Amino acid sequence: MREIENKQRRKPVSERTHMKMKFFASVFSTAAALFLAAPPVAAHHAFGAEFDSNKPVLLKGKLVKVEWVNPHSWLHIEITNAAGEKEVWMVEGGSPNSLLRRGVTKDSLKLGTEVVVDGYQTRDHSMLRANGRNITLKDGTKLFLGSAGTGAPDDPK
Amino acid sequence: MRVQAFVLTALLSVASGVFAQTQNAKATSKAFTVQRMPDGHPDLQGTYDLATLTPVERPSGVGPSMTPDEARKLEAANAKRRAQGDAKIAGDRPAPPKGGDGSVGAAGNVGGYNYGWLDPGSTYNVVDGQIRTSLVVDPPDGRVPPPTPEARKRMAAMRARPTSDATESNDPGLDRTPGAYDDPESRPLGERCLIGFGSTSGPPMLPDYFYNNLHKIVQTPDSVMILTEMVHDVRIVRMNAEHLPTTIRKWLGDSVGHWDGDTLVVDTTNFTNKTRFRGSTEDLHVVERFTRVGPQTLLYKFTIEDPATWARPWTGEMAWNATNGLIYEYACHEANYALGDILRGARERDREQAAAKAGK
Repeated sequence: MREIENKQRRKPVSERTHMKMKFFASVFSTAAALFLAAPPVAAHHAFGAEFDSNKPVLLKGKLVKVEWVNPHSWLHIEITNAAGEKEVWMVEGGSPNSLLRRGVTKDSLKLGTEVVVDGYQTRDHSMLRANGRNITLKDGTKLFLGSAGTGAPDDPK
Repeated sequence: MRVQAFVLTALLSVASGVFAQTQNAKATSKAFTVQRMPDGHPDLQGTYDLATLTPVERPSGVGPSMTPDEARKLEAANAKRRAQGDAKIAGDRPAPPKGGDGSVGAAGNVGGYNYGWLDPGSTYNVVDGQIRTSLVVDPPDGRVPPPTPEARKRMAAMRARPTSDATESNDPGLDRTPGAYDDPESRPLGERCLIGFGSTSGPPMLPDYFYNNLHKIVQTPDSVMILTEMVHDVRIVRMNAEHLPTTIRKWLGDSVGHWDGDTLVVDTTNFTNKTRFRGSTEDLHVVERFTRVGPQTLLYKFTIEDPATWARPWTGEMAWNATNGLIYEYACHEANYALGDILRGARERDREQAAAKAGK
């Protein structure tokens, strides 16, 4: 999937969709074609402008603060840098509304929890900020899990 | 890529819910008594979740609906993909690759974030007992008509300018549009927390296939309020009123309503020249029809007209399913560090470019 996307990244969305459709129409059923008609997703802001793809970071430390604000949460993580000094990094996450709907609240995530984050630092390197590409516990368990359904009465239980 | 993967996941995982919804829709299509307000009109009030796997448009050659079996398979595949996204990864993993992780689109080569944060929907939308493959029902091919040549030219010119009149940004990085990062006012409306991105508050009010898809309707004889969770956009529909003078323009347009039998008809004009639904002009005209079709379901129908953008009007429809979920506060500005980060990043780039030029 990633490779496909890379090859197509310079092409306009309509062209990409067309290519996908052409390919899949010949191979898969209508249902598969529909599956691939993923609508273009709009993001709240330009991730690529905020974060520097040449500054990958891996942060291991404990949570010292969480800002639960829509549409972007910020997790503050205290780490020890290569020089042995303490640093507090801010990591951008998604919308807490989605978490609240599955019962994750402020109290679910205890300060002091050891976490591992991989992401990219902001383009301004004087800021200790990064995107939370993956936020996990020390053993790699995802900190927040998605679930099919929204809690709506019509959703499958 | 990650964001697109999210979407694909959403599409896939929704499959299981579709079936349930289908059955539900069948159940509710039997006799039900429309609850009425004291003024005799149907009670449309409630909180509705628009999250769905059904896309706005369907691929060419795909029919307007699918069988429960097809839906179940797609939903199961979606659920599986979602589960994969939630799966444990290595705790001692390395940092992501230098130069970017291959993400495209909104995530711009640096990735987004884990699936857990997202809530894109898990079922296909069911209207009249049919599991729909697109929201668009007219044209009958389920696709938005192509923009006119004039509109294409206009959109191309827009892309060459700063993005302040887009609701969202899908820039892959800093290099797309000169001037787009010069100041906060040149940033997209969504990034500035002014209105929701996508067309969540609309009109038309569409699923955003990402998160925060709730809407709340509060109804009185004189006004109908529609609150959109995303960026807490509020529309006030003035009942039986005239439109404002054309000199008064609003982010979400000017909405007036009337009852056509048991259907609430909302007519919206007077958009700003920055709203630009799918590249439309400020002359965009949207007619929405809200009908209660079940105790938990409204039918939402919208017709879009803007001759400067599309040669013909087009229409979509979807069921709005009630949810017990609450709408939470959307304090977008409070932690909108992203906007500052983006502008600081652009100034860093300016310095680098100036230094490179001076070094020549």
